[in-house]
Amino acid sequence: MPALSRIDPGDAARVWWRNYDVYVRLWRTELIAPLFEPFFTVIGFGWGVGSLIAGKVMGVPYLTYVGAGLLAFAALIRALIECTYGSYFRMVYQSTFDAILCTPIEAESLALGEIVWGMTKALIDGFFVLLVLWGFGAVLSPWGLLIPLVLGLAALWVAAASLIVTSRIHDINSYNFYLAVAFSYLWVSGAYFPLANLAGWVQVLAWLIPVTSAIDAARALMIGELGWRFLAQILFLLGVTVVTIEIALRSFRRRMIV
Amino acid sequence: MIESSADRLATTPLAIDADGVVRRYGELTAVDRISFQVAQGEAFGLLGPNGAGKSTLMRMIYCRSPLTAGRLRVVGLDVTTDARAIKARVGVVPQENNLDPDLNLRENLLVYARYFRIPRAVAEERADRLIAFAELEEKRTARIETLSGGMKRRLMIARGLINDPAILILDEPTTGLDPHVRQAIWDKLRRLREQGLTILLSTHYMDEAEKLCDRLILMDRGTILVSGAPRVLIERHAGRVVLEVRGTPLHALPAPDPTVIVEDLANTRHYYAESTEHLAPLIRACEGCETYLRPANLEDVFMRLTDRTRLT
Repeated sequence: MPALSRIDPGDAARVWWRNYDVYVRLWRTELIAPLFEPFFTVIGFGWGVGSLIAGKVMGVPYLTYVGAGLLAFAALIRALIECTYGSYFRMVYQSTFDAILCTPIEAESLALGEIVWGMTKALIDGFFVLLVLWGFGAVLSPWGLLIPLVLGLAALWVAAASLIVTSRIHDINSYNFYLAVAFSYLWVSGAYFPLANLAGWVQVLAWLIPVTSAIDAARALMIGELGWRFLAQILFLLGVTVVTIEIALRSFRRRMIV
Repeated sequence: MIESSADRLATTPLAIDADGVVRRYGELTAVDRISFQVAQGEAFGLLGPNGAGKSTLMRMIYCRSPLTAGRLRVVGLDVTTDARAIKARVGVVPQENNLDPDLNLRENLLVYARYFRIPRAVAEERADRLIAFAELEEKRTARIETLSGGMKRRLMIARGLINDPAILILDEPTTGLDPHVRQAIWDKLRRLREQGLTILLSTHYMDEAEKLCDRLILMDRGTILVSGAPRVLIERHAGRVVLEVRGTPLHALPAPDPTVIVEDLANTRHYYAESTEHLAPLIRACEGCETYLRPANLEDVFMRLTDRTRLT
């Protein structure tokens, strides 16, 4: 029986709701970073790096090209942090999960609540970056309004993958390796420059990670160039995300129900 | 006492029914074919040294640990198939406080109530009643970190009652608390017991078990050594009076008659007897050495029956 079938959406919503309540209590500290950071990042890339790049990249202004990458990374790193350090704190240091598992809520619904919460945080951060990009004129098409859907899907994948890591480590320092992988990947994700500039095997590796597809799809929405490539990327993202969530739920149950 | 418990077992539906319950972790057998029954309205104790398997058994009862073998029914439902329904009807107070530090005292109860899908109005009414029960009115909006150990414990018990449970499960409810706080917690638990709540508690405080439990099982190495009402167990395994003799060569005196049981525990010789008369010749012989005459208690049962080798 798939772990996904053991999810109770109402229970998952209540886990999400708990995190939301805490977020609202701490909104001052929680909101400042996502407001400041994208503004300066976009300024830096738009005016700083962008001014060095006279020509267009793949036919679009550099800020539009890199904007999709900045947006995706700002959002996805938030999902990663939330379901690594955030979840680990709730699991180990605060024993929040122990308390929740003594209520009718089962491990699978708890895990999904955490994953969807990770996505929510990613979307909040992503929203501000998108707003700044829009302000700088980097979003060229009204299709750009749909970017949060692509980002949300990619954030679910990142959150689920991060929760798998969380449910397998017993020392918070173990995240260093995971973070190193994530930040190294940033340079081969097609966020800053076209993948075609890289060696063939690096490209294959990069496309295996669904975030590459998410960045490419977000860029397509910014430009308004939707085609088979876009559709294939969304389907790939969807499939990988469902499988990853299934694995995350199993992994989480193994960790919590012992 | 034991008759009334037996009657209750026969006539009321069972709160807990364990039949050959086994839990293995790799090579280690934490719980080894344990069977016992708890009637509704009983206060039932799990006793035993550290590592006896009490916590594992409790975790299986509140559906946090899977069974390796055996059958375990709680409020008439099977833990392997009906975990969600069981957890809705059980209140759990684990050994470690796990209050939500990101929420204040009252929010802790309200958010917890939400996990049980208790309607907001009912939850608020219950939260306020439980805050009063736990004598925490003045702290209702306090941050968790500002609460003392005793307050946190009382709040944990209040939280365990938020779903109006059929069974309250407490894992070592007073470990690490000062005597005043322990008395206060016992008072709360006694009141719940009088109201007819089924209570399952684990402890290694023998006075706690004697005061609170109608019946108990004494566990060691994953198995049940003895079970029954505390007074019955004490009389059966430790008699009524105990003479402790320590520190002189005389301590090696043999038992004055065959009814007196002799045991050496922690460098002290213990004589267990039915009455002080049986011990009189010993007390005379021990004139001048360090002796201590006292009523037998559950600790004697515990010390006599559990494996002492691990302590040394």
